[in-house]
Amino acid sequence: MDQHIKKVYMPMTETAFYILFCLQKPNHGYGVVQLVEKLTDGEIRLAPGTMYGSLSKMEKDRVIEFVKEEDKRKIYQITDLGREVLNIELNRIKRLYRITQEEL
Amino acid sequence: MRTLKKYRYFSIVDYEKEQEFLSEMHRSGWRFVKVTGVGFYHFEECEPAEVVYQLDYNQEGIEHKSEYIKMFSDCGWDYIQDYMGYSYFSKPKSEMNGDEGIFCDESSRIAMMERVFKGRMLPLVVIFSACLIPQFFLNLFSFHNHGVAAFLGGIIGVYLVVFATFGIKYIKYRRDSEK
Repeated sequence: MDQHIKKVYMPMTETAFYILFCLQKPNHGYGVVQLVEKLTDGEIRLAPGTMYGSLSKMEKDRVIEFVKEEDKRKIYQITDLGREVLNIELNRIKRLYRITQEEL
Repeated sequence: MRTLKKYRYFSIVDYEKEQEFLSEMHRSGWRFVKVTGVGFYHFEECEPAEVVYQLDYNQEGIEHKSEYIKMFSDCGWDYIQDYMGYSYFSKPKSEMNGDEGIFCDESSRIAMMERVFKGRMLPLVVIFSACLIPQFFLNLFSFHNHGVAAFLGGIIGVYLVVFATFGIKYIKYRRDSEK
């Protein structure tokens, strides 16, 4: 894994995390926005400028890939590299959580 | 319908002031229609309302316009126009839950600043260092053309202010995002 990917995705921003997590199933940007809103009980509303910029950056970094276009919406899905990065992030979060459950 | 045309100058890095200006106009009953030329803002009379205006700078978005605008319209943002590489969007406060903007995290705000820097500031820096500075010194010391030198000096001053403003803003964003 190259240095750029390590630098940007380890750890990653919350936005990048939600995008990678949601794109385990093919979806478009707005679909991710809606899904995240539902998963977080309306707590997190991803904004379109952030989404557009993140999706194109993540496509260039090859952690997600373009599948097809439907009604002017680009549908993306996670790549093998994306899955690898997501798993590393998940393990990091699990470790954080586990630590907080133990007494100092 | 009554219309209004106002001249305003906003430097490349003043997009936040520009957004605030457009919201303020809407608050006093003037809906932003378009900006033309060197900074003529056109307005139409309307019911005063709280409307958020936002500027994005994304050349890739302008190149893939229909899907770019679709992303925003899906999220309830009306696209107004492109001007000097910036895209203008608006959304009424009444359609929002709390505060909303087209960016929801610091890293995407910084990414936009970097796009502005690459698209607009870098060409300026090139003109600045390749033309303005040499011309300034040539006129001052070789040609003794002090009028021209003073004029160039003035422009250099303006440029330095723009660079400094951008630099300070960039550092401030970076610092805030690290908190």
